[in-house]
Amino acid sequence: MKIRSAILFAGALSATTWMASGAIAADLTDVGYVDQADVANLPVFVNANRQLASYKSQLDGQFNAQVKHVKTDAERQQLALQFQQQLQDKQREIVGPLLQRAQLAIAAVSSTRNLSVVVDKRIVIYGGQDITRDVEAVFTSPQAITPPVATPPPSEIGFVDQTVLDGVPKVQTANSAMNQFETTQRQVYAARMAQARSSSEKQQILQQFNKTVADKQDQLLKPLVDQTRSATSAVARKKNLVLVVDKADVISGGTDITADVQNELAK
Amino acid sequence: MSSPNSAGRLARLAAVLCAGATLATGGCAPNVHSSAIRGTGYIRLDDVVKHHPLYAQLTQLDDAIAAINLQVVAPQVPLSAKQITAQVAVLNGQLRAAQDRANKILAQKQRDYARREQQAVSAALAAAGVRGSGASAAQQMSGASAQQAAQAEQAANADLMAYQQNVIAQDNAASSSVAKQLQTQAAQKYRAKAEQLQQNETDLSLRLTQQDAATRLAVKMKLNNLALEPDARKQAQAQLAALAAKESAALGAQRNADEATLRAYRADLDRQTGGAIRSQVGAITAQTRVKLEERRDQVGSQLRSLGPPSLPANLPPNVQSRIAAIHKQFISQFQADASKTVAEYNDTKTDLDRQFAALHGADVGATGAAAKELQALQKRRSDLYQQIVAQAERDARRVAKDQGFSIVFVNVWAAAGGYDLTSQVIKDIESQHE
Repeated sequence: MKIRSAILFAGALSATTWMASGAIAADLTDVGYVDQADVANLPVFVNANRQLASYKSQLDGQFNAQVKHVKTDAERQQLALQFQQQLQDKQREIVGPLLQRAQLAIAAVSSTRNLSVVVDKRIVIYGGQDITRDVEAVFTSPQAITPPVATPPPSEIGFVDQTVLDGVPKVQTANSAMNQFETTQRQVYAARMAQARSSSEKQQILQQFNKTVADKQDQLLKPLVDQTRSATSAVARKKNLVLVVDKADVISGGTDITADVQNELAK
Repeated sequence: MSSPNSAGRLARLAAVLCAGATLATGGCAPNVHSSAIRGTGYIRLDDVVKHHPLYAQLTQLDDAIAAINLQVVAPQVPLSAKQITAQVAVLNGQLRAAQDRANKILAQKQRDYARREQQAVSAALAAAGVRGSGASAAQQMSGASAQQAAQAEQAANADLMAYQQNVIAQDNAASSSVAKQLQTQAAQKYRAKAEQLQQNETDLSLRLTQQDAATRLAVKMKLNNLALEPDARKQAQAQLAALAAKESAALGAQRNADEATLRAYRADLDRQTGGAIRSQVGAITAQTRVKLEERRDQVGSQLRSLGPPSLPANLPPNVQSRIAAIHKQFISQFQADASKTVAEYNDTKTDLDRQFAALHGADVGATGAAAKELQALQKRRSDLYQQIVAQAERDARRVAKDQGFSIVFVNVWAAAGGYDLTSQVIKDIESQHE
């Protein structure tokens, strides 16, 4: 009898759990994606890029003419920075308004479809809502795009800004040490490679080089990568997120947990 | 009431049920709509790529790219500007020493030949019975003209040697440039052919596995059924082995054919390149020979214009012609001997020129060729990677659809929920290629 009761109880509990999860756990359906490469092929973007390329080519000519007269590396660097700045200003002038309109179009479509996050197409391989055509239609329409009044609903897809995490002092130190190590080893092994006579000897040197670099990566970077991933997972769990992606892949919405991960790493 | 037997039956039943589910979905599928998964899946693309059968080829390409990158760094390593200056000074010293040595040898040879000519003339006069003033005058005349001729020869030969050096250097440079160019062209053609054949093999490999994918999957599913009769299992395993053997045989046959094609192509290219090099270098050498012969003829005629030693008129005609013959013979012997010295000098100079060129980065061209090769390899790598990723994504989509996922991501940064489909996709890819 006791066993039968236990089985019945377990069955009831299981049914409750199943019903509860069915009630709480609706599938993620508020994720949209945009094929940014397709948007970039719209004639306005193609024209803008053409204009920018032509401007860059003019600047290159001017830079090459002026760089002949500089005497020191510092002057050369200064000149390069100056031209870089000019190019960036032009880019802002030509492409800036287009990107702004594209962002508005994405936000408008996202709001209409009640999406909590819009990501780049390359990270979604199945499912999700493809809003590329809708975004393009809004973008190319002659009307002004009204920004949506409501902010996107809270998303269960989080993101981290990798560039910010790279700025954490211990990550920065490890990256810099790794770069230095690799540069030095590259020169050492390149010299050995130049002395090598047979292809098998070259192959052996290459393998040694790869192993040396990989070992150092394991020693310097892997612990930090593991630590970062584990910190990110911990934050994601705390915030009830399902997945966390790189900020570079998020176009609109999503939950930014960069600062939380940064704090976890600083501990 | 539960008993060990009934528990065993339940376990078997569970296994059979699970096998049934396997047939339907390719494995004991997770509850994709649970609160932890929420219909969300993800795959770790890097891990899937590492398990793809074409990953070995991808690694080979990576190694080839890394090798070129490593080699390209090499020229920057060994020498500083100061070291190059010091080595140039050493080479210049060696070149000057070689020139001095060649000049000294030539001067010594001129003196030797003049002395031996004089001795030969004396002997000829004595043999002809010419004595006294005639002989003495003839000897004096011969000695004086030999000295003049020697001086003239010395000047003319120095001139000829300088000219020879110049022309031979031009010849060497032109020949080596032509040979290098033709060899580079041949190497490029060979590489292109090899790449094309390798691409064909890769395509065939993929085509074969895709052709048999459905059959293989069906057989694998059958094998996953724990309740399958031993005979049927054997038959299914044999069927899998036959598929693998068929694909392997087709690929092997293609590889053998490609290797033969490549060998024949190499032989053909070598023949063509060798012929072209011989023909073009032959033309250059012929032109050089003509130039040198013209110059030698000019020098010869200049020397001849000095004429054979003017001999006293009272010498019998046969003695005069004998002495003229001796003079001619010594001049031609000297010229032949001097040419050897000049040739030796030119060899030394060519070697030193090569060392100069290497010091001044004459292998910059190799960097250019390496850059082209690098570009080609990177393109092949990118194409192959895309091919692998495309297949991984196709498989992931199929698995996701079969198991009822709502959305599947790739390359997520971290996961607090969702379902990791990586191992399933890997298994799927591996089963298609086994």
